[in-house]
Amino acid sequence: MSKRGDQKRANRMVREQLAAERRRTRTTWISVIAALVLVVAAIIGWSVYRSQRPASFAAPAGVTDDGGTQAGIVAAGSGPVTVEVYLDFLCPHCRDFEASTADTLDKLVADKKIRLVWHPLGFLDRATSPAGYSTRAASAAGCAANAGKLSEYGAALFANQPAEGSAGLNDDKLIELGGPVGLNAPSFAQCVRNGTYKSWVGNVNDKAAQRGVNATPTVYVNGKLIEQPTAANLTAAVTAAS
Amino acid sequence: MDGVGETRWEGIQPWLSVAARLILAVIWIAAGASKIGDLAASGRAVNAYRLLPYDLAVFLGAVLPFLEIALGVLLLLGLATRLAASVSAVLLATYIGGISSVWVRGLRIDCGCFGGGGDLAAGQQPQYFSETIRDIALLALAGFLAVFARSRFSLDGRLLDGGHHR
Repeated sequence: MSKRGDQKRANRMVREQLAAERRRTRTTWISVIAALVLVVAAIIGWSVYRSQRPASFAAPAGVTDDGGTQAGIVAAGSGPVTVEVYLDFLCPHCRDFEASTADTLDKLVADKKIRLVWHPLGFLDRATSPAGYSTRAASAAGCAANAGKLSEYGAALFANQPAEGSAGLNDDKLIELGGPVGLNAPSFAQCVRNGTYKSWVGNVNDKAAQRGVNATPTVYVNGKLIEQPTAANLTAAVTAAS
Repeated sequence: MDGVGETRWEGIQPWLSVAARLILAVIWIAAGASKIGDLAASGRAVNAYRLLPYDLAVFLGAVLPFLEIALGVLLLLGLATRLAASVSAVLLATYIGGISSVWVRGLRIDCGCFGGGGDLAAGQQPQYFSETIRDIALLALAGFLAVFARSRFSLDGRLLDGGHHR
């Protein structure tokens, strides 16, 4: 083999080594940039979440600290045993719960045995299109509480419950439902339209999740979870706690 | 391997890899996009697995959707393919572990993979089997891509091989 051939081969090897070196450097830089992209995405996620959380919020009349700071609202009664119900006005099982236990709970309230606390949630916000009916309805319930009509208005919301997957009830309809239970004041209509208590509902959501509530309806009697919240089980639990 | 077989594989592999890249990219972007609209709900979905302290679940719920979208965009562009595929594989393995853990403990939840989440209502059936199979299939794709990161129509190819579509 000639010396020229050796020289050529050596030159080519050097060129290839340099090219491989360049490639490695570039690969490293690309990886660093991509890793930064992922880190920045994570930081953006956290920042967006933080910015969405209101620093303060308005709470409706009758708000209580059962289950967390301003996490509930007194629906009825002032008896010694506290019955807490986590509910979503879009959830069919919550409507069934309300239908099957309303008489029992009314009687327990009339007998001055219980204090009934509601935690109106927006867990099913995604289940309407446009999203957000659960939170709007819960906020409207807060408006009703201001006029002392929470349980009546809540019953009306369940009686007129829209189907999951539907658009939900619009604000006009939410206001209209207040009429038969005595919510005729312009302040109620304005409160519903403004979504005055939406941020409060967000607080109820957070406090519920923090407590480990992942579904509706969830019922506690004096802080004890009732696995099967039937009328009979509720009565038994209240009797046991009295 | 004989010369001819190797050449054939070298011809096919970049096409297989670009397919894997695009499938993963679409899944990540869809999964992330379905959750960014309600980050509080995303946190609750993580919390429903009952694996992490509440505050950490909320943090992951806020961060994961954006991470998923960023991974999807990297894969779509074919930028840092090996890194993006490796991170995808780790994330998918974590998801598989999470769902399996819920399954084994007999909990009944919505995985919240594409939004939603939380405990299932009475009468709703968990989908752990199909969710696990889906994630294992995606994990296989991510693993393949991490090993065979060279693909057609990638930024990596342009930046590293000077415009050769490899």
